[in-house]
Amino acid sequence: MAIDSVDVGSQTTAADLDVKTKEDYFTASQGQLIWTRFKKNSSAMFGAYVLMTLILAGIFSPFISPYDPNIAGRDKEYMNGAPQFGKFCDDNGCSAIPFLYTQERSRSLATNFRWVTTINEDKRRYITFLPKGWEYTVLRFEVNLPGKALDFVIPGFTFERHLFGASEGKVHIFGTDSSGKDIFSRTLHAINTSLAVGTIGVFIAFFLALFIGGVSGFYGGWIDSVLQMITDAIRTVPAIPLFMALAAFIPDTWSSEERFFFISIILGLIGWPTLARRVRTHLLTERNQEYVLAAQLCGARPGHIIRRHLLPSFTSYIIVDLVISFPYMVLSETALSFIGLGLKDPVNSLGVMLQNVTSADVLLNYQWYFIPVLFFMALVLAFVFVGDGLRDAADPYGDTKK
Amino acid sequence: MLQFARFTFTRAFLAMFTLILVSFIVFSLMELVPGDCAERYLAFKNTQGSGISLADIEAERIRLGLDQPYLTRWVAWIGNAFVGDFGNSCILRLNIADLLGEKFYISLGICLASLLLAYLIAVPAGILSVVSKSKALNNGIRFTSYLGLAMPNFLLALIIMLFSTIMFGDSLTGLFSAEFRDAPWSTERVADFLSRAWLPVFILGWSATAFALQTVRALMSDEVGKLYVTAAQARGVTGRRLLWRYPARHALGPIINSLGFDLNRIFNELPIVALILTLTDAGALLIDALARSNDQQLAGAIIFLLTASIVALNFITDIILALTDPRVRRSILG
Repeated sequence: MAIDSVDVGSQTTAADLDVKTKEDYFTASQGQLIWTRFKKNSSAMFGAYVLMTLILAGIFSPFISPYDPNIAGRDKEYMNGAPQFGKFCDDNGCSAIPFLYTQERSRSLATNFRWVTTINEDKRRYITFLPKGWEYTVLRFEVNLPGKALDFVIPGFTFERHLFGASEGKVHIFGTDSSGKDIFSRTLHAINTSLAVGTIGVFIAFFLALFIGGVSGFYGGWIDSVLQMITDAIRTVPAIPLFMALAAFIPDTWSSEERFFFISIILGLIGWPTLARRVRTHLLTERNQEYVLAAQLCGARPGHIIRRHLLPSFTSYIIVDLVISFPYMVLSETALSFIGLGLKDPVNSLGVMLQNVTSADVLLNYQWYFIPVLFFMALVLAFVFVGDGLRDAADPYGDTKK
Repeated sequence: MLQFARFTFTRAFLAMFTLILVSFIVFSLMELVPGDCAERYLAFKNTQGSGISLADIEAERIRLGLDQPYLTRWVAWIGNAFVGDFGNSCILRLNIADLLGEKFYISLGICLASLLLAYLIAVPAGILSVVSKSKALNNGIRFTSYLGLAMPNFLLALIIMLFSTIMFGDSLTGLFSAEFRDAPWSTERVADFLSRAWLPVFILGWSATAFALQTVRALMSDEVGKLYVTAAQARGVTGRRLLWRYPARHALGPIINSLGFDLNRIFNELPIVALILTLTDAGALLIDALARSNDQQLAGAIIFLLTASIVALNFITDIILALTDPRVRRSILG
């Protein structure tokens, strides 16, 4: 008897659970459904974690990076230096805080008056956490419109604490480049810059695509045909030569900020056709769907149909497209900077960092220049994984197909 | 037959229209750059020691026809461009058609070879990854294709260069060895060219394969689930015969359709690979024209030629599609 009752009990709980999951499923919003499916995809989740880490590292780059990534933060004592790793133990005993050896440069008659670097193992330098370093400002906005009255500056907050540093001298966990700039700090700032260029580019492309694709799909007819011809013509021109032709306009006198915005705008102005075409196709097919007709027959007004029926069918699609087009923006920026037409050396962008690795000298002697390349690949791959995962998750028939 | 001719004619007209529109964009870009040919010519004369005045520049403008209205000059440019005459480069003071010469065709050949390589690998691999139940194989193909998307071409080029420098003592750069660079075409020169051209083809094909693999996979996995495949299975069609005759045939259409844009993508990467491998082809000239000497006439000519090849390929694929796909054929004829 006892066994029977247990059986019945477990059955009812199982049935309850089943009902509950079904209820959850049918009452879930679109966003919840996508999130549930997305969570099941382990590679996409992994990509999402990597992406979040990289984005956070980019946003908090001034705090995490121990030194100023520009020439002001260079280490004159350690140019083209190899990565330094903290040690916990050596022949002189162990320490709970990681330490580095001191490098001493000296020259004398014995070395024929050449600078010689020696490592003094007895002089330890300890890694410190939250030390004071170079000053940085966050949330500072400066508006500089024509006319004095319109100028205003939000001062923002100034900090000088950093995540880590060294008690004496400097620590370079990714090494330094030829002018002694810390590659770790540069990489973090580069991620920030490249993401910012990508974001501005994607948003310009997005609004153009939504507008042109929307007009084209909504009105149809000859407006659609003309807009499609223009879209096709722009799609036919190879993008990077076109980028190059546009970027050739940048006068050499421009500051790095102006250059930065111009590059982002170019990326946006050329990136829209693919998205515009999808928006248009989507609008054209959805407009004639039966559920729209059903809503119309029920007496729904056009505004209601667009808000409650067309937009939900649409938003997930658009978000996915944005995520997928993001790595191509980053790649384009990289390619452009790589050729020397995009951002240039004082700016820290991934393209500029990649430009530094092309010489055989670097390949043979300074392999740590390649560390930013790994970050770049991780960023692009993470975007691709997340984009793919979102695309699968946003497809409502994805479950039934398998 | 008449309808088919009409279809071909409409498509040709559309391709022409696209080309004219693109030429307008390119021409406008060339015009927007500060400083025109007259100023450049005379700036050169100035460096040679002869003094120049504004009147000289004006006279030079009239001599070159630069005083004509914008549209007139555009029509003249496009008219000459269609017969392969792009005028002179203001900076190099050379005829662009002579300057480009066979270089453009070499570049086009390299790109087409990469495209061919990409699909030769991607079609079987894509079909295999959809059909095979093996998880390891599937993940392997997926991983390789993701790597192809994310690994920059120039990095691959650098790695291969480094490897070959260490292993064979030859960096494999350039398109010809020194003794064949300016020699006329001969069997030896072709052999020399082929022994070096495989590297750019391989590097350009690498990411193109990744893209093609994604397309083939997506199309095939859409098609194999469809009812007509199940129906064919029920009739007893199995194995390779089933795959090639049913889902693969359906997936072929969109692939042929996207060939033009694939070529576009490969052209995109050509300048960067050319820069690393120090190729002396059109890609390198393009970079030189845009990034270094700011030679808008040369850049415009190259971009126009690239676009013209893509438009031509799009036109050809449209016709091929109409010939091979009965559904498209019926929609034209019916």
